[in-house]
Amino acid sequence: MMQKNPIQGRQKLAMKKIAKKNNLQVTFSKRRAGLFKKASELCTLCGVDVAIIVFSPAGKVFSFGHPQVESTIDRFFSRNPCLHSSNTHKLVEAHRNANIQELNAQLAQLLDMLEVEKRKGEAFEEIREAGRRKCWWQAPIDELGLNELQQLRIALEELKRNVTKQGNQVLVDSSHCWPFLAANGIGGGVFPFGNEGYEMDPASSITQMYKFGHQGLF
Amino acid sequence: MTRQKVKLAYITNDFARKATNKKRKKGLMKKVSELSTLCGIEACAIIYSPNESQPEVWPSPVGVQRVLSEFKKLPEMKQNKNMVDQESFLRQRIAKANEQLQKQCKNNREKEMKQLMLQNLTGKGLHNLNMMDSNELGWLIEQNLKDINKRVDTLTKASHSQGSAAASSGTMVTPEPKSKSGEKVQAGRSDLEVNMDTMQRQQRITDLMNPQDHLGFGGDEMMPPFGDNNRNALWSNAFFPREK
Repeated sequence: MMQKNPIQGRQKLAMKKIAKKNNLQVTFSKRRAGLFKKASELCTLCGVDVAIIVFSPAGKVFSFGHPQVESTIDRFFSRNPCLHSSNTHKLVEAHRNANIQELNAQLAQLLDMLEVEKRKGEAFEEIREAGRRKCWWQAPIDELGLNELQQLRIALEELKRNVTKQGNQVLVDSSHCWPFLAANGIGGGVFPFGNEGYEMDPASSITQMYKFGHQGLF
Repeated sequence: MTRQKVKLAYITNDFARKATNKKRKKGLMKKVSELSTLCGIEACAIIYSPNESQPEVWPSPVGVQRVLSEFKKLPEMKQNKNMVDQESFLRQRIAKANEQLQKQCKNNREKEMKQLMLQNLTGKGLHNLNMMDSNELGWLIEQNLKDINKRVDTLTKASHSQGSAAASSGTMVTPEPKSKSGEKVQAGRSDLEVNMDTMQRQQRITDLMNPQDHLGFGGDEMMPPFGDNNRNALWSNAFFPREK
């Protein structure tokens, strides 16, 4: 769970080498990614060729290039101003740009969905906080006394019975569709709670989200 | 400067494109420079604008030569390991965004289940849960029951080890049965605190019963289905407090 960190957010940064090693490393990661992103945008918007080479604090090297790091470096070294402008080359480039446009669209869509889910998460948090204040049984278990725990336990066990009943009912109702499932009871066994479970039920709207990652975006 | 969302596509208007090119090149160079200074690392940038034979570079032509030769000295594998072009860079970002999305969805799902569980304790009807929801909800309830049992054990042990100092029935407001559930847990607390506790508990029990119409938790029974008579007394006392 995220707590609001007063130190987070935009700070005025002194333009000199960062003192703390950890901060330095984090800054490097973030800014390198941001730099490449800006370069990528420039390429798309203005049709430029670039090559950016960056050495990390740990000594690794990162590079970004359009169309390719190597070809742009060679161009620099050879001082060769003439660009290929054959038809083949133009075709290759058009194809590449189409790909990139599609990838950009996919990314934008994912980021939008991520934003939606984040808002949802925040909304849930607010509901939870409000609930905690109003209803004693919604407080964390550690804050409850023995009496309350026992009452809560009774209530939960009752709820459990209801849920199991509901679940069994669903099985019975749909047994004509899924005969192989009706043979197993749900009962009080261990319930699956992992990604495998989600893919089994196409009816659940939530599982659509999980499927997104497996549908071959590339 | 007003911020407008820029469509990520080649700018066809010559004038606009040239203006954007100029601004963004400048910004990019600035970012490389900052990265180099802040992190104390070597870097270089080469930008060829269309229809310009000479590139713009950072830090300087000499500086670029230096960095490039350092780069070329490295074994080819190291050179290529973190090398990306637009396509591969975008794919990386897509993969990361997807991972974050799945994680967030999972989180939200857990929160949703938790809310469902908490809200249904007060007897609101469980609407048609599909099998997946029932399973998950059941699992969550199991987890909570486990935690509760653990804590009950801990607290019960604590109160037992404190002996008779814990119970102080004389100060209770509500007549409570002498079963285990009636014992005060926190040993060593003042009588006043114990009083407040009891009153709060009474209020809480009432809260738990409200705002639904009947006493049961999601069931059709009018009375909570507890076998233990004493417990029944506890509930009914709270709900219908005796007038003294």
